[in-house]
Order: sequence, then structure tokens, then C-alpha cells
Amino acid sequence: MSVTMKEIEKKEAQLREGVERTRARRVYIPSVDIIEREEDIVLVADMPGVDDKSLDIVLEKDTLTIDGRVEEAIPEGHRLAVSQYGIGDYHRVFTLSDEIDKERINATVKHGVLRLTLPKTEAVKTRKIPVRAEA
Amino acid sequence: MTLRELIPFTKKSVPVKRDRENPFELLRHDMDTLFDDFFRGFEMEPFWGRHEARFSPKVDITENDREILVTAELPGMNEKDIDITLNHDSLTIKGDKKEEKEDKGKDYYRMERSYGTFCRTIPIPVEIETDKVNALYRKGILTIKIPKSAKALEEKKKITVKVE
Repeated sequence: MSVTMKEIEKKEAQLREGVERTRARRVYIPSVDIIEREEDIVLVADMPGVDDKSLDIVLEKDTLTIDGRVEEAIPEGHRLAVSQYGIGDYHRVFTLSDEIDKERINATVKHGVLRLTLPKTEAVKTRKIPVRAEA
Repeated sequence: MTLRELIPFTKKSVPVKRDRENPFELLRHDMDTLFDDFFRGFEMEPFWGRHEARFSPKVDITENDREILVTAELPGMNEKDIDITLNHDSLTIKGDKKEEKEDKGKDYYRMERSYGTFCRTIPIPVEIETDKVNALYRKGILTIKIPKSAKALEEKKKITVKVE
């Protein structure tokens, strides 16, 4: 495995043309890991500054939208000396396939990390077929 | 780095960024990273192993007259894995972000998040109350509050301009 120093650069989300934002905030694309397991697909997103109250997850047909608001700001009377990460909201959209059981999606957030569990439908689960030995 | 950064006079006088103001420091920094970059090209570590860190968290530093506030984005850490050490003139944040056990060895479709060890040292140019520093880890953001010492506060004097 390569050992490289990684600078965590937050990517700013691009606005579609003709769309305006209602909050004067920067919007970032959260980094995600997507992991497939036997029973489900797990989506893990880094969203520092977000908790359960400031997170909106909306599923509309096949589109899963994750919106996180960050209320943190520079404290009153403080001036910024070094700024490396931008304070801003998070937004990312995913398209789900039919293989996901949309009724049983489960989301938890802990220490600024969102964990979405997307269970697979019974139809696509890998099944092992037992082989019987005939006498 | 641009050539302009070598000219100290054009730098804004941001107190916490002191180490970057000295052109020799800058040159040294560049020489240091030059070799690291070279070895990185071959996907190997420099043999002296200067970088034990896998990634470097981003920090914001704000200050007012009484205190310095260092915030770092460290999502998904265990607070026990964050190690903060304070020297008289620098603050070091070290840690190990572990991959969740249940995810290990599974099929990754996408891997954008960072794991591993990190180490970050931030120089502090003013005298501080080392025993009154406190750190808070909340919602994936680490906030370290460093109060400036009384001596540091005294040093800042306003000079009035008289009219003759």
C-alpha cells in the first residue's frame, strides 16, 4: 500500500445554472466511502460540524439527497489568523438503484460522520443454494 | 510557493503565521519537502521516516485579545485516539483514525475519506497559560482553547500619537 501524505481538501459544490441559494454559506461536497456488504450497502460521509438536528436526508423516488447545515461560526470578537478549511454546509446527491429496499434505510450520525445503511432487497441478496447429496 | 512569499515585507502581519515570514525558514521547508516529494514519486517513504502521518487535518485559528482558538476538522474520531501535547511555543495534535472494524476487508465502491495517523504542529507565537488549555471534541470538530498569559497581554500596548 502506498504511503502518501494526503491533504484533505474539501470540494465546493457547484450550483446548477439558474439556481440560487437561500443561505449565504459556502456549500461543500462531503467525502464518502461506499461499502458493499452481504446484506446491505453502507454509505459513510464525513460531515464535521453536523449533528442529527442539522441533517436532512430526503429520498425522492431514486434520488437520495443529503443536506447538512453547519451552524458553527467564528466566535464573536475573534479574528481569523489561519484559515485552512472553509466553514460551510454540505450537499450531495446519490441515485439509488432498485436493488435497495427504500423502506428500511437507516441513518445515524456520530462525531460528524453520517452512516447510512441501505439494505438490499430480498431479490438481489446473494443466496447460497444448499446441495443435497442423493443416495 | 510563489516568489512573492520570499519577500517578507509584503506579508500580512498575521501573528500565528510567524514561521512562514522568515525566508530562510521557507527555503528550509521547501528543501525538506523536496525530498519527501521525490520519494513519494516512488511510493516509498524517505528512509529517515520523517512523515509518520498519513494525512494532515486542516485547522482554523482565530484569536482575540485573551485567547487563541484552534479548531480542526476530525470527523469520526474516538476522543481517546486524539493526543494533544503542548510545548511552550507549539501545539501538536496527533491521532490515529481507525477504519471501522465492521467495514474492514469489505468491498469498497468508493473511498474518499482518509484514515490513518496524522500529526500536526502549530507554532504559537505568544506566551500562553499552559495549564489552562482545554480541548473539546464535538460533532467531529476539535476545539482547543488556549488562553494567553498575563505577560503576553501586557506586552500589547497602544501608543498614542500626540500632536505638537
